[in-house]
Amino acid sequence: MLQITEVGKTFHPLTVNERVALRGVNLHLDEGDFVTIIGSNGAGKSTLLNVVAGRHMIDQGSVVIDGEDVSKQPEYKRARNVSRVFQDPMAGTAPHLTIEENLAIAVARGRGGGLRRAVTHARREIFRTELKTLELGLEHRLTTLVGMLSGGQRQALSLLMATFVEPRILLLDEHTAALDPSRAELISRLTTEAVARHRLTALMVTHNMNQALSMGNRLIMMHDGEIVLEAVGEHKKSLTAQHLLDEFSKIKGAQLTDRTLLQG
Amino acid sequence: MIIALELGFLFAIMALGVYLTYRVLDFPDLTVDGSFTTGASVAAVMMVNGVDPVLASVCAVVAGMLAGTVTGLLHTAGRINPLLAGILTQIALYSVNLRIMGRANVPLLRETTVFTPLREAGLIGTWVSVGVMVLLALAVMGLLDWFLGTDMGVAMRATGDNEEMARSQGIATDRVKIFGLAISNGLVAGCGALVAQFTGFADISMGIGLIVAGLASVIVGQAIFGSRTVAISTFAVVLGSVIYRGVIQVALNVGLNPNDMKLISAGLVVVALVLPRWEPVRKWRTARSNRRISDEADLVDSVAGSVN
Ligand SMILES: Nc1ncnc2c1ncn2[C@@H]1O[C@H](COP(=O)(O)OP(=O)(O)OP(=O)(O)O)[C@@H](O)[C@H]1O
Ligand SMILES: [Mg+2]
Repeated sequence: MLQITEVGKTFHPLTVNERVALRGVNLHLDEGDFVTIIGSNGAGKSTLLNVVAGRHMIDQGSVVIDGEDVSKQPEYKRARNVSRVFQDPMAGTAPHLTIEENLAIAVARGRGGGLRRAVTHARREIFRTELKTLELGLEHRLTTLVGMLSGGQRQALSLLMATFVEPRILLLDEHTAALDPSRAELISRLTTEAVARHRLTALMVTHNMNQALSMGNRLIMMHDGEIVLEAVGEHKKSLTAQHLLDEFSKIKGAQLTDRTLLQG
Repeated sequence: MIIALELGFLFAIMALGVYLTYRVLDFPDLTVDGSFTTGASVAAVMMVNGVDPVLASVCAVVAGMLAGTVTGLLHTAGRINPLLAGILTQIALYSVNLRIMGRANVPLLRETTVFTPLREAGLIGTWVSVGVMVLLALAVMGLLDWFLGTDMGVAMRATGDNEEMARSQGIATDRVKIFGLAISNGLVAGCGALVAQFTGFADISMGIGLIVAGLASVIVGQAIFGSRTVAISTFAVVLGSVIYRGVIQVALNVGLNPNDMKLISAGLVVVALVLPRWEPVRKWRTARSNRRISDEADLVDSVAGSVN
């Protein structure tokens, strides 16, 4: 489904600001795999997702989706197969467009914008049905500007928009990090439901150990641009937060001081 | 005052073009000063050479679209900042426009123009010609409203509102921007062609400072009439254009020098930009919009209540 092979990415190469973000990363996912990704700040987690989405072009290696090498494909073309939810709730929606207009963009994804009406009666009915699954009452507010919604509501909408036209791959980058605990809970539940319902192949970055352990069937830990730990299936189920923390300390060769890892 | 209405509705076509870039695409496009004159020159030269005025006006629109495309390519393919890309095209167009006209001024007084029937019937400067201008402006406004409601139009609005999100939703944002700049400058050039036919000449300097008139129409109009939906926004722009011409006309009537008009235009834009942020005005506006939000919340509650 998704083959990331020997992928390397360096920012600002050959300058004083040179930063190696990915060092020959290999990751092969089968259809329906749901991988959670953990790792300290600057480990390269976001870069890995951005490289799959096409926001950053890779320096070496290849990214293959469904047998097609997309390494050189621009971001907007990959959006047909790959969709994303960002950490920032403001990032995934257009604030000055209404809820229904935002959803119309998600419906038209990958088909290019034609000259047909964006919001039709038939589409509105679909929007209402889908919005109901969020249980936030948004189905009654189709013509509200998205900028008027709370962060949690916008994030729920982003998630819906990301899964509306079934993508092959769903990328989630700390998409519950900016939300209060109850909202984060809701978005996590909706994520699990959406992934299961559409049988999506998903990559989810999180700093929340419990989330990383409870969600998905695979787990990877990244450090300094490399995958340093992989756990699949039963192995993953047997892991505890303490295991992961120990693993971290071992890799760092020092006591774990990264406070973000201790959250949750 | 009839003249202010005629010009106000006529220039509204240009203001709608400025709205498309400045508000919809969030791209302050300075190409306008050049492409307006390009439209006027192309139409004028063609009509002097005996081309049908309608066909000449259509060609002017196409020329404007080309100019917009150039700015779009400078920005997207050339990665040049929007303001600079627009200025570069605008400056280049000055030379191009002189080439097209072959001199600084082309009179059209003896040519047949789209306004000739009105002029021969002695209806210019009457309510009939105002009506014609209103119809022209509303037709363009209607077309723009329709476009911005299509899949492509909504994609364009999303590109201006949140480019990152647009790209992640599969919108080819570079292409969308080029297309938006092309339509915008097509409208501006079309307006230039009509203004040349209305005033009876095309002149190399007729577009100078025009962007300020366009911005004034957009900003003043939306400050007064709001921008909640596309339909409200475009209508506000048309009325803004009329208000702007009205202010200019009043300034002329009280004896100010036509050369002072650019100063007045710029001052008007500054006032329209700064005034809404001035404390008393802001309080009044927040009070008004809070009332709207709470109305909406009530509505949502009552709807939700009736469902449960
Ligand atoms: N656009 C960019 N320009 C320059 N350097 C970048 C850019 N994006 C990331 N980097 C660098 O690449 C490295 C990996 O960053 P990345 O954002 O992938 O980390 P991360 O694992 O997502 O961290 P965090 O947990 O803080 O989100 C860091 O050293 C970072 O400074
Ligand atoms: Mg990150």
